[in-house]
Amino acid sequence: MSGRNEQEYLFQEAARRELAQGRIDRRDFLTRSLLTGLGLAGVGAVAKSSITPAFAADRPLTPTFYQWIQDLHPGIPAVNAKFPGINYQIAPVEGFGIERFVAEAKNQQSTWDVYVGQTPFVEMSAFIKAGVIEPWDNYIPKDVIDDIIPSIREECTVDGKLYSWPFFLDVIGSAWHSGITSKAGVPSAAPATWDEFLESSKKIVDSKAAPWGATFDAHGWRSLVPITHSMSTKVYTSDGLFDFTSEPAIEALKLMKQIMGYSNPDILLEGSSDAGVNSTTDEIAWAAQRVGLYFKYFNSPFRFAASWDDPKLLGVGPLPKFSNGEGSTVFWTTGCALFKYGQNKDKVAEYIKALTYDPQIWKDSIVGTPGVHPFQLPPYKSFYADWAANKPDWVPPAVGLIRGQLDRAKAIDNNLFGLQQFVIGKPIWETYLKGEEPDPKVAMTKVMEAVQAEIKKG
Amino acid sequence: MAQAIANDEVELGARVAGGPVPALQKGMGEWLFLVPALVFFIGYQVWPIVRVLWLSFTNFQLLSDKPAQWVGFDNYTQALHDPLMWASLGRAALFTIMFLPGTIILPLLLAILVDRVANQRLATLYRVILLIPAVIPSTLVFVLWKWMYNYQSGPINHLLVNTLGIFTLQNAPQWLGGTALTLPAIAIMEVWWGLGYHTIFFIAGLAAIPKELSDAARIDGANEWQVFWHVIRPGLAPIMMILVVLRFGSAMAVIDEYLIFGGFNRASPTYTWTIFMYDQAFKTGLWRQGYGASIGMIGAIAMMVVMAGLLWIFRPKG
Repeated sequence: MSGRNEQEYLFQEAARRELAQGRIDRRDFLTRSLLTGLGLAGVGAVAKSSITPAFAADRPLTPTFYQWIQDLHPGIPAVNAKFPGINYQIAPVEGFGIERFVAEAKNQQSTWDVYVGQTPFVEMSAFIKAGVIEPWDNYIPKDVIDDIIPSIREECTVDGKLYSWPFFLDVIGSAWHSGITSKAGVPSAAPATWDEFLESSKKIVDSKAAPWGATFDAHGWRSLVPITHSMSTKVYTSDGLFDFTSEPAIEALKLMKQIMGYSNPDILLEGSSDAGVNSTTDEIAWAAQRVGLYFKYFNSPFRFAASWDDPKLLGVGPLPKFSNGEGSTVFWTTGCALFKYGQNKDKVAEYIKALTYDPQIWKDSIVGTPGVHPFQLPPYKSFYADWAANKPDWVPPAVGLIRGQLDRAKAIDNNLFGLQQFVIGKPIWETYLKGEEPDPKVAMTKVMEAVQAEIKKG
Repeated sequence: MAQAIANDEVELGARVAGGPVPALQKGMGEWLFLVPALVFFIGYQVWPIVRVLWLSFTNFQLLSDKPAQWVGFDNYTQALHDPLMWASLGRAALFTIMFLPGTIILPLLLAILVDRVANQRLATLYRVILLIPAVIPSTLVFVLWKWMYNYQSGPINHLLVNTLGIFTLQNAPQWLGGTALTLPAIAIMEVWWGLGYHTIFFIAGLAAIPKELSDAARIDGANEWQVFWHVIRPGLAPIMMILVVLRFGSAMAVIDEYLIFGGFNRASPTYTWTIFMYDQAFKTGLWRQGYGASIGMIGAIAMMVVMAGLLWIFRPKG
């Protein structure tokens, strides 16, 4: 090889590596090739290295986020600043609507490179089925995969492939207003069992410490499922559907009705945003300090206690269990979906790693910033290990408690009807809660039939 | 110079009159001017309708990679046998019945009152005040009324519970979120929102009725009711027809408000055929767009039948 050829080869290889790593785009690569006298050889190099969509990049890194993530996590722009030229966008996904992503994928296109806002049981199966997303396995560093908490990794995996890079962890647990519980003479601690939960709720109402004893979010995945899991997590069919007719599910429904005896009367009403799923009535009651006990993902009690006269009166603990129960709960993560027809895939992985490992985001999430207190936790073992080994003063005991819950918690199985089964079933099981159907088993059987009927339709 | 122009005009006149320019070319020129409107009409209105009609005869599912297959009237048969189809159409009709009178009677009364204000400045002020809700963006209107109707913290229930003491915190009305009160509550919001807009229609209609007719009727001994019934009402009939037909269509096809105030709860009165269609086409299972399209076509046909009836009722008489 002559000196000149060797020099050309080195230039070519250097540029090709940068192209592969996403540091330059194809236009830059060809321009450099021309400038170094490579000309058509550069074009050939592109062809030989078979530029895949992963390496192709004719636009800047373009992530799109579910609006609430930006609202709850003000540290994201600081991470974005480390990625010059990033085209940060808000996703058109009101009320979990993913139509735009699906429509684009059908045309083998994607306006964005990554969607930050995917909850596995909600939309991941639909994304996979429609060919909207691809697995992260080729892009996510091995050390990151190994760092994901096993139960979360399982939640994000389908057929052995990781389809969601987890970001924010939500676990359902209990919370109490210690001002109200003290006034009612109820222990300011997490009720260990549902019997204690009911007893304390009754005392709060009877003592008039607050108008209502307890509240919950009536959407199935936020109340029916966690109560069911507190008795048993073996409540899924082989297809990954929730078994509404299982004994634990029926016991959960009965318990919900009992709790409703001490709750805000509008508890079954749909919420007022995101097609009824958010801004729910429990949050209003909790924010207004009209209720003593609460169970939901921790983000909610923390966020809405921020408006209390004294937010320090908030207490959080594990979900109560049935006396003969497993003591589990539900968790889910909100993570990142890699668009199959997106670009900059290596760069995306670099960005998501920076985002999910950013210490300031987690500190803000746990401690809260003015007006925002999401209390969502990281999905990585290393954070909890570091905090356990060298506990910062801003990490409250609740973090360890939630981490502990996670070892017993279970995510809702992934299925095309993962979320829809609860949407379809809600008005039917509510006939029991409203007293229109006296037998919970009958109500739950009708739920199963309605879900199966929809599945048969395709 | 003048002679030259005159000669040119004569020459041009001769060509246009059928001389050297063929008639076909003249016709094509007219079509050429129509092309933009035709492209818009066919591409933006006809094509989507034809496409949805075609979809409604297929088993197309957006999430599936299988190609759509022709299934004839299967989707229609299935939809017409689904109790939810009839319930959801009935709910939309119920809302329309609650909403339509408020778009006619109230604005008509207000228009007559405003029309009688002699002071021009005051009349303008009334018109401006009436139009305020109509210029508020929909998002703001929804946020405002969601707060107004809130069970626990809304001013309406605050008035009923804390001020008037008619209800307690345990039994106060649950306005939104899927209760029986949800449809009337949304209808009230919609009537308020469109009040000024609809009133302006009637004010315009009143301006078109010659004052001499009312004056002559009064001289002949007619009282105010008789003037209204025999002079004003027939004069406003075309306006009423436009409003009734337009608002019937928009009331039957409401979707945003239902999504916001009732979500996808199938037992909610807000789960009408529009939500049913959206639910099937974009939410449930493999997104059954063929079936969703058939629900849409059934809803559209039902609306067209009623609209034809309304046009017949409000047809020009005499």
